[in-house]
Amino acid sequence: MDYRLFDSVRRQASPVEVDLVESYARGRISRRAFVSRGTMLGLGAPLIGAILAACGSDSDGTTGGTTAPGGTVAAGAIKQGGTLRIAAQKPAGPLDPVAMADLGTYTPVVTAFEYLVDILGADVQPMLAETWKPNADGSVWTFGLRKGVKWHDGSPFTAADVVATMDRLAGSNLKAYIDAGSAKALDDFTVEITLKSPDGQFPQQVGAYNPQSVITPKDFELGTTLDQRKTGTGAFKLTTYDPATGATFEANADWWGGKPFLDKLEFIFSDDIATQISGLQGGAADAIVQFSVVGGDALLADDSIVVETIRGSAHRQIWMNCREGDFTDVRVRQAVALGLDRQALIDTVLKGRGDIGNDHPISPIYPFFDATQPQRERDVEKAKQLLSDAGKAGLKATMAFPKLQEIPQLAQLVQSQLKDIGMEVTLLQEAVVDGEEWCKVYDSTVEPAGCDGGMDFGIVDYGPRGVPDVYLVKAYATGEWNSAHYISEPFRTAVKQYQSSLDLDGQKAAIKEIQKIANEDVPYAIPYFYNTLIAHTQSVTGIVATGLGHFYCGKAGFTS
Amino acid sequence: MGRYLLRRLASAVVTLWLLATIVFLIVNVIPGDVGRRVLGPFALKEDVARFNHQIGTDRPLINQYFTSIRRLFTLDFGDSYQTQGAVSKIIFPALFRSGKLALLAFVITIPISIAAGIFAARRQDKVADRVVVNTGLATSSIPEFVTAAVLMSIFCVHWKLGHVFANPPVGTSVFGQLPYLITPALAMVIAYFGYIARMSRAGVIQGLQSDYARTASMKGLSSGQVMRRHILRNALAPTITVISVQVGYLFGGIIGVEKVFNYAGLGSTMLSAVVSKDVPVLQGAVLLVGIVYMVSTLLADVLIAFLNPRVRLEKSR
Repeated sequence: MDYRLFDSVRRQASPVEVDLVESYARGRISRRAFVSRGTMLGLGAPLIGAILAACGSDSDGTTGGTTAPGGTVAAGAIKQGGTLRIAAQKPAGPLDPVAMADLGTYTPVVTAFEYLVDILGADVQPMLAETWKPNADGSVWTFGLRKGVKWHDGSPFTAADVVATMDRLAGSNLKAYIDAGSAKALDDFTVEITLKSPDGQFPQQVGAYNPQSVITPKDFELGTTLDQRKTGTGAFKLTTYDPATGATFEANADWWGGKPFLDKLEFIFSDDIATQISGLQGGAADAIVQFSVVGGDALLADDSIVVETIRGSAHRQIWMNCREGDFTDVRVRQAVALGLDRQALIDTVLKGRGDIGNDHPISPIYPFFDATQPQRERDVEKAKQLLSDAGKAGLKATMAFPKLQEIPQLAQLVQSQLKDIGMEVTLLQEAVVDGEEWCKVYDSTVEPAGCDGGMDFGIVDYGPRGVPDVYLVKAYATGEWNSAHYISEPFRTAVKQYQSSLDLDGQKAAIKEIQKIANEDVPYAIPYFYNTLIAHTQSVTGIVATGLGHFYCGKAGFTS
Repeated sequence: MGRYLLRRLASAVVTLWLLATIVFLIVNVIPGDVGRRVLGPFALKEDVARFNHQIGTDRPLINQYFTSIRRLFTLDFGDSYQTQGAVSKIIFPALFRSGKLALLAFVITIPISIAAGIFAARRQDKVADRVVVNTGLATSSIPEFVTAAVLMSIFCVHWKLGHVFANPPVGTSVFGQLPYLITPALAMVIAYFGYIARMSRAGVIQGLQSDYARTASMKGLSSGQVMRRHILRNALAPTITVISVQVGYLFGGIIGVEKVFNYAGLGSTMLSAVVSKDVPVLQGAVLLVGIVYMVSTLLADVLIAFLNPRVRLEKSR
């Protein structure tokens, strides 16, 4: 071990950074967790590399979050030129970077616009900001911007653009974090953002997992759409856009990441995944932005197609009403959780493409995931006993679920598995589970403030996030998505502790408690975290995708 | 003829009002919240409420109804809930695209099916007749989307002869668009061949057995001349009526084919509008289909009158 290096780090770094480096040096956190947390705090790649080299390697083999940039083909094998035809979901709304709310809209918008930071799984990497650093308590973050970046019209990108974007987002997407005027330009390439309250993970809010946080030009008025003003800093410039049929982009030769290999991107919009798959197999498309195992069997079995898996935190929650009805007794909820054969669900519904869940929303891709927690295994006899003890033997319940991806199949399997513990589940399929069944009323006077009414039992879908805050706050603690009506002061305290922790040790301790409470109280049974899949032909390489509509092609191309 | 046209136009206005009212009622029966449907399940409640207020779906239903009817009669279809752009910018390009596909399908279907009908009629009850009749029956009884899916998997996926996505890229020439449109057009041809062929066959058989055909033959006209000058003119009237009804159907009813080939025509526009509760787009699209129906039946009536003097004389009386 190189102690001189550590002394040097101690002298220059903030207490939070020193804590992180020491945690890694003493083996309290894995290499993966160190890199992930280090990038979040803005430790430069050379320093991270030097510390890793000084401590040796202890790879824990965990990967996740995005597909690998560059694929497995060396850059030299990619030929210059060509048009990549991409089958993508049709945008549901205008290409408004601030107001957009669906994956179909994210894809073209984030092809043109970029973020301050890039987020690959739980790792934070430079994008328009090259460096970022919190103050001692994480309430002020300073971003050093990349120099030489140009907007698509040739004008230079500066701190004024970031400040104006933050001011726009202060009234909408980032209003929980900043006020208008919170961002200040210290010079042309340095921006200081003062948060409403300390947050050790703020870079996550200005990266890919908060899609609306893309940086737009300083005079980009609220409500302007990308097709109205074709601009951005990304690797490709929008040339044509028809919301009904598709969009085309041409390569931005001045891109800060270097001239793209591809000349052109052609997005073909389709709401029907079966048509997208036929298009890829029939040679009408070269790639699909995203698809799921259900309905995607044809691609999984096709040797001429490359399917890439993105591990993530996206999951399904089987909610059980903790306030009223048949599930108020924790033993009933535990019985349901014990009745699930999770591996069978993953194998059948996801064809093995997922991580097993343990009735809490902390995905194994997160650096603070507590892997020491015992996995809940199926135990039919114990489940029956719990139901009997709670006076609910032979319980009859109706389960609502949306007609979305694999959820109908999941519902059928859950119904059949719970039959083994004596439960009789009636299925109620809805086009979407949004208001009526899931969260009937938003009422801040009812505890927990937020979701009220709706069905007692159902399945709801949650998309991937770089940090679990949305799940923890909105679904479990106080938010409007708490369809289980779950109240737990110890849980809320643990969430607050997690959010206020700036160091990884503090977060790990809080998350360990969160996992434990969620697993014991089971307001939501969470059988698995599913992988997102992208597909492309064998001749395509270098695509980077996040599972949230991003489809970066700056380094993509056709193999020669 | 002028009064006849005026009467037809007046009834068209009433029909369009009825159509718009029925669409409004149906759309508002579909459960769910427009804002939630458009913004998705992960949108914040306050965003959904703001969106609903912005587009006016939080107003009383009766107010929304009068607004939508007023807009229809001022030919202002309003803005789409989903894209927030003008509805006319969505439905007219969609109508144009559907028109292209329908036209191609008609250009192929009409001559083939009328020729097949004549061919079968002249060989009534022989093997050739049976083949035409049974093929027509079989093809018209298969739903278009099944035909479309089969054609796609054979021609586009397996043999890679056609395009899975039927929308040609922007700027493609007229002839360059043919490879994109031909497979979905074929699916429509297969679906409509049977109807038109059967109708023309029946008309021709009736004509062949008529007194005027016999008289024409006896005065020395060749069988070809009898067919062209006398039989076809009479036999085509019901065929033209069927075709005119199919025009409206082709524009708005080929949702299955459009969906399978990801074609952004009027049918798939309507389907998307239903799913997302985009009332202005749905009303505008249904109205357009209604107009296409009315115009095509009107044209059919005029064409029949042109072909058959008896109809002209009846109308002028």
